[in-house]
Amino acid sequence: MTFARIGIRVAQAVAAVIGVTLIGFVMVHSAPGDPVFALAGEYGDESYYDFIRERFELDRSLPVRLVTYARRVMTGDFGTSYVLGRPVLSIIGERVPATLLLTVSALFVSSMTGLGLGVFAGIRPFSTRDVGVTSLTLALYAAPVFWLGQLAILFVAFRVSWFPIQGMTSAGIQTEGAAMALDIAKHLVLPTLVLASQQLVAVSRLTRTGVIDQLAQPHVRTARAKGLTNQIVVVRHALRLALLPVVTLIGHRVGHLVSGAILVEIVFGWPGIGQLTLDAIRTRDMPILLGLFMVMAFTVVIANLLTDLIYEPLDARIKYRSA
Amino acid sequence: MLATNSAGWYRCYMTDVLGLLFGPARPGNIGGLAALALAFLSGCPSDERPDRSGRLVLALSSDPGHLNPAITTSGGVQTASKLLYNGLVELGAAGEPLPELAERWEVEDDGALYRFYLRRGVQWHDGEPFTSADVKFSFEEVLTRYHSRTRSSLATVLQSVDTPDPHTVEFRFSHPYAPLLQQLNVLETPILPRHIYEGTDPLQNPANRAPVGTGPFQFEAYRPGTEIRFVANPNYFKPGLPLLDDIVMRVIPEKGNQVIGLETGEIDWLFGIGGLDRRRLEKNDDIAFLQNGNSPGGSNCIMTLSFNLERPILRDVRVRRGIAHAIDRDQFLERVLFGEGQVARAPISSGIAFAHATGLGLPDFDPAESDRLLSEVGWVRTSEETRMARGIDGIEDGTPLEIEFLHFPTFAAYGQLLRAQLRSIGIDIRLRTLEPSVFVEAVFSDGDFDTNIISYCNSTDPEIGVRRMYVSSNIAPIPFSNAARYRNAEVDRLFDEARATVDKASRTALYRRIQEILVEELPYFWIVETVSTRAYRTRCNGFKLYGHFADSVSCN
Repeated sequence: MTFARIGIRVAQAVAAVIGVTLIGFVMVHSAPGDPVFALAGEYGDESYYDFIRERFELDRSLPVRLVTYARRVMTGDFGTSYVLGRPVLSIIGERVPATLLLTVSALFVSSMTGLGLGVFAGIRPFSTRDVGVTSLTLALYAAPVFWLGQLAILFVAFRVSWFPIQGMTSAGIQTEGAAMALDIAKHLVLPTLVLASQQLVAVSRLTRTGVIDQLAQPHVRTARAKGLTNQIVVVRHALRLALLPVVTLIGHRVGHLVSGAILVEIVFGWPGIGQLTLDAIRTRDMPILLGLFMVMAFTVVIANLLTDLIYEPLDARIKYRSA
Repeated sequence: MLATNSAGWYRCYMTDVLGLLFGPARPGNIGGLAALALAFLSGCPSDERPDRSGRLVLALSSDPGHLNPAITTSGGVQTASKLLYNGLVELGAAGEPLPELAERWEVEDDGALYRFYLRRGVQWHDGEPFTSADVKFSFEEVLTRYHSRTRSSLATVLQSVDTPDPHTVEFRFSHPYAPLLQQLNVLETPILPRHIYEGTDPLQNPANRAPVGTGPFQFEAYRPGTEIRFVANPNYFKPGLPLLDDIVMRVIPEKGNQVIGLETGEIDWLFGIGGLDRRRLEKNDDIAFLQNGNSPGGSNCIMTLSFNLERPILRDVRVRRGIAHAIDRDQFLERVLFGEGQVARAPISSGIAFAHATGLGLPDFDPAESDRLLSEVGWVRTSEETRMARGIDGIEDGTPLEIEFLHFPTFAAYGQLLRAQLRSIGIDIRLRTLEPSVFVEAVFSDGDFDTNIISYCNSTDPEIGVRRMYVSSNIAPIPFSNAARYRNAEVDRLFDEARATVDKASRTALYRRIQEILVEELPYFWIVETVSTRAYRTRCNGFKLYGHFADSVSCN
């Protein structure tokens, strides 16, 4: 990919983030539910609500607020949370690592397992194992994530207590380093599995189709005729090409992962941006919500950009040329 | 200062090491005796608090965001931060004021002047002395500005807070103000440290996340979305308290998982548990329950049905009475609350004993009387399932009796039961589930509803939690105020009179008169008084339902 091409993609990415922010701004501000009431709670009086409105500039018109907001964002000021009274970036920043850890591990687990299952099913299409894998992955996909999570908690954590039920760390833990990492790893297992199980099906289905497709291609027949082992034929000749659409898919699933993480985080008490999003919606904390929109849009855009970049070395047929 | 401290720590540490090496001190055990002697000579604290032990782990439903209860009425913040602070008084089990930061007080000028004598020697968690200046600052600069409840009740009537000396505070009011003492506990008016907040924006002060208080526990760590940890305040002014070493508050957003955590022992204390879970866990010997009318959202709450009096169909009191007679409130208690709580018997909660009137005769479940009243107005029952209007002023003949009912998602069960009950009398209830902030806008800003259900918390004094529902000045976009849009000049006047009357017996009489009028006019119908049930592991004990719930708790 040439620099010019990368430049264009980056420009597209920036435009996408700006677009999402604009739409988000209008949506958040025109949604029903006055943030002043959410903020002030019960027992207020009008002077108090006016005071809050003025303080957070909610008494201005929507266009004025949008311009003010845009101007601040340009200077790197994403505003201050209504509820927490702290800068939006630092609030989101302290939650991002947890979500990143969860989504990256779920992405890893779902991609690896999905690929494995897809190949496993694809080399013997319509066999018992193929039907088995298909049924299993579809069942996992059909199960709502909060239900699956709740079941996991009930059986794996509660009944047999292999894993802790909630949170990212044990209560009151004060260790550092390896002991802390181990503690986090223990807490990570269940949410990762539940989140990954939802993503699994797409990867495994697409891999399966690709493998079946490629195995019927002439170049595979040639490879077999040359007397190559089955393993080499499947991995080198069929899988490499079958992977192309899968890579695209995995890249595009990142967005789904982030939204799926919201539910998983709530079910497992995982301290990431999912929990923060829910709290911000409840309290109509607009600066935080807008910040979250931007972070999510940014993540998706970056993931798509990376997908495009990885694509080229995988497929000898694709070469980006400057026109 | 630091050096002495660390040397002291070292001496005490050595004592412990010797003790560990040689075993407990007893005659014949030289090493143990030596350790004891060393402890004695070096002035190490021997264990003055034999019961101080353990860690309490409790569950919070969401990350409170900060720990400053003086700038918000958010139940989450108040629940999480209460143990860090003190009020001037504490409210006892029956709501009676008890000494806390104030040792004693005098009420003068018929209740227009309150003088508090503060406890001496109280320290903030950072070692600074607590004085009357802190009280003045908290009220003038923070509470009457940023705490919506205190602002709306005190800001207009409180004339001044004076500090004649560092240990005396005087509250002067423009006219006699009766409920003050009920508003001075840690929940309503926590006292903040002036030396930390003065000259800053209280909403953005970093101390909101690393707070300094005078309470039984002091702040140790805040891990967003995960947990907050407090440790015992070694210099707490109540001798021997607290008993725990530390408290860990875990963020567990899902109620179901909080209960599972309690069952596995990961959690020791839940602030709230539903009736169904309670029934299931009653057989579990490791779990016990405490119950009263105080919940993190407020105290003495009544699930209340509001009638929008501006809607033509609800203007006639006979219609409202007819609806009330068709409601079987015992069923609400049984099926929605699983028996936790009681059917409301008066507009003011039985939890405010002096103001709660008895023998008022609220409409009881009587379908025949309901039918008679509705038919009398002109809502007649034909072959159709729903009643139709016939000859009612301002309503077209043949209009079906359809009533809209707004509720929070959490109160869906109330809506469903109400719809089932009223259908049998020929009223068609249309349910509209609205998220709280949207509900507030629809009901209080726009007045766009027929009926709704709200958990109105009466608080500890009718002036704080009851008045707001009935005075006509509250027909305004103020959340959880006068939802019914009720307007009665005599009721307005009686509330004003009760506020300025300090004599308890006279206030009782005034509130009784108010309640009689309300029952006659039925702007609302009071369904059930709810209670809040806490659940805890029996390895911990000493929980209280008032004041600092955990300052005398110990866990094995």
